[in-house]
Amino acid sequence: MNMRRRRRVPLAPYLFVLPFLAIFVGFALYPMGFALRLSFTNWRGAGLLESVGLANYRYLLTSEDFWGSLGVSAVLWLLVVPLQVVLALAIAVALNRARLRGLFIGALVAPFVTPLVAMSQVWIVLFDKDFGAVNSALTAAGLPAVGWLTDPTWAKPTLALLVLWRTTGYAVVLLLAGLQSIPPEVYEAARLDGAGAWTQFWRVTLPLAMRTISFYVVIATLTVFQLFAEPYVVTDGGPFNSTRTAGLYLYGHITNSDLGLGAANSFLLVILVFGLSLASIRILRPREDS
Amino acid sequence: MLRGIGAAALAGGTVGGAAALAGCAPSASTNQQPLGTPSFSAPPAGEVTIWDRSGDLYKVFDKAIASFTAKYPQVKVNHLAVDINAKLPSTLISGAEVPDGAFYDDALIPGIAPQLFDLSTLIEPYKKDIAPYKLGVVTVEGRVVAVPWDLDPGLLFYRADLVEQAGVDPAKIATYDDLLAAARTVKGKFPASKPLHLEANEYLSQLWLDMFVNQQGAAIVDSAGKLAVDTTPYRTALTWLDKVRAEDLGTLAKYFEPTDVNTLDNGTQVFVPWAQWFVFGPQQLLKQTKGKWRATALPAWQAGGARGGVMGGSSFVIPAKAKNPQLAWLLYEHLTFSKTGYTAVYGPNDVYPGGINTSVPSYLPALSGEALFKPVAELGGQDLWKVATDAAKQVPGGYTIPVWWGKAVDYLGVNLQRMLNGQMSPDDVLSTSAQQIQKNLVDRP
Repeated sequence: MNMRRRRRVPLAPYLFVLPFLAIFVGFALYPMGFALRLSFTNWRGAGLLESVGLANYRYLLTSEDFWGSLGVSAVLWLLVVPLQVVLALAIAVALNRARLRGLFIGALVAPFVTPLVAMSQVWIVLFDKDFGAVNSALTAAGLPAVGWLTDPTWAKPTLALLVLWRTTGYAVVLLLAGLQSIPPEVYEAARLDGAGAWTQFWRVTLPLAMRTISFYVVIATLTVFQLFAEPYVVTDGGPFNSTRTAGLYLYGHITNSDLGLGAANSFLLVILVFGLSLASIRILRPREDS
Repeated sequence: MLRGIGAAALAGGTVGGAAALAGCAPSASTNQQPLGTPSFSAPPAGEVTIWDRSGDLYKVFDKAIASFTAKYPQVKVNHLAVDINAKLPSTLISGAEVPDGAFYDDALIPGIAPQLFDLSTLIEPYKKDIAPYKLGVVTVEGRVVAVPWDLDPGLLFYRADLVEQAGVDPAKIATYDDLLAAARTVKGKFPASKPLHLEANEYLSQLWLDMFVNQQGAAIVDSAGKLAVDTTPYRTALTWLDKVRAEDLGTLAKYFEPTDVNTLDNGTQVFVPWAQWFVFGPQQLLKQTKGKWRATALPAWQAGGARGGVMGGSSFVIPAKAKNPQLAWLLYEHLTFSKTGYTAVYGPNDVYPGGINTSVPSYLPALSGEALFKPVAELGGQDLWKVATDAAKQVPGGYTIPVWWGKAVDYLGVNLQRMLNGQMSPDDVLSTSAQQIQKNLVDRP
């Protein structure tokens, strides 16, 4: 009797998930499966799929260009993410109890919502070696002009500055939301225990904001390793491929109809970013004792 | 029973939905058959969707299409402004919303060639009247895959006022050695100048280098498709460019970025060997020197050699998945090979009162007729049509673009920049680039 009752599975829940399931299969699962299949071919967008086995993966894993693009993304990650988290957290803490918070947030988020191409053009003009405002200021102060976008040493930091400037506002908003979810009673209790502002930050704010910080680091990691538009518009990967990010390198395969290689590159990138995200979550997860 | 129907519906719905959506996914087959000569029993009728680049060019083609619909009133043309370079490859792969025809960069055509109609039969009657260079560019593995549109001949742009003050006669700059000598003379007169333009953008500098190589009748691959980077034409061009750099006679700047615009306007740059479309600068960007620039033919690499070479260009493609390819062909045949058509595009119109003067047609009879665009006020009223068509007629053929040309920029374009920054010699550029391209692009499965 019980067995029979257990078998009567209600139909409605399945019908409710049906539209999502169909869309998920059609728009996510099938394309991913097809891309995986493509990664073992040399398909150029037409004709039959000819298998090349693991050749695309073998080529990428032994290619200086592939590792070079990952190296560029890794350097940009180091230049952007740690600094941005510290900066955004400091601003978020300062704004947490500030007056006119909305005004400051609006100003900080403005670069994030401004069209990227327009901002990138501004960057090109600002950092032009011979006629840019930045070098004009430097030379006026008696300092030498710097090839911000033409010297491989400086191109990455200049690009990182653009990413920092554009996305820090978003990080502040996210971290601020995390800080505001900390109950005031916790601070109250800390104050009663004699904790000063600095101790409150280290013992209350930081541990309780760690989940939000961890979430943001994952988002920032994804953003940096997929970074495309900024280097595409500002430096086009130059000088000498020094700003050719993993995203830009991948784009090169796709626009040249090298779709098999592009698919293999995508999967390697997915594995890498997934691993980095897991590592970030693991390293930054709040400890039980805190 | 109900449960059975429900389960079947669930499974069927899921599979059906997925199958329907998967219809939008890439297909592995394509139609590579030649497009035959259209045979219409009645006046041509139907609807075609045509993609053009957004901006002024779209407006110009819109007017020109009106001359087609006036000829074929029963054909409706859905003319759309699209970011073609970004959207066409993915549209061709997915098969969704494929246009019947599109305007496309020549350098990118080989990459999508398998997804285009073979137009060889249709182009055959016009073949002898198409610039040999252009015919080579639109021919991929023996198939003509695009209707050849414009030709972008390289010209030598120069500051007429400064060369006159320096005592240089531009008419006597017949070879690249002459140009080097002229640059030295100008620098002698104006020591702050770095008279020759050197391109700093990696993609454009490879395109620019290929113009010099095309002028010598060569290309990045030879007629057998074999890599031809480490060869005399490339060595000749690179050695000359390296000499310009070594003698501090060049301004290394990215095309029309701030350094370029400012040094073009302040007298630092005096000579710019570039495609005809450089004329956009004096017309739209340069403020101080508007009217002071002139154009002449490129110098030759050897006395008496060709004074024409091509940099860039576009054509019309008809996707193999087009619904109405024959009507698209009819439109492109009208625009490219009929006087009414090409005059409607190049001639004076509301958008460009003087006509389009950034390129010339690749259809040779059009070059021999009356001028399609007016003399250019920003070039001091110079008859650019004559200069450009004379140069276009000298462009050597035998040029092919391999499918990996764009990816070669990561090697040849980058190494060229290293040379222009004094970090590599011409020989190093050629041997290293040849090795890298062979390994990463030619030999890869």
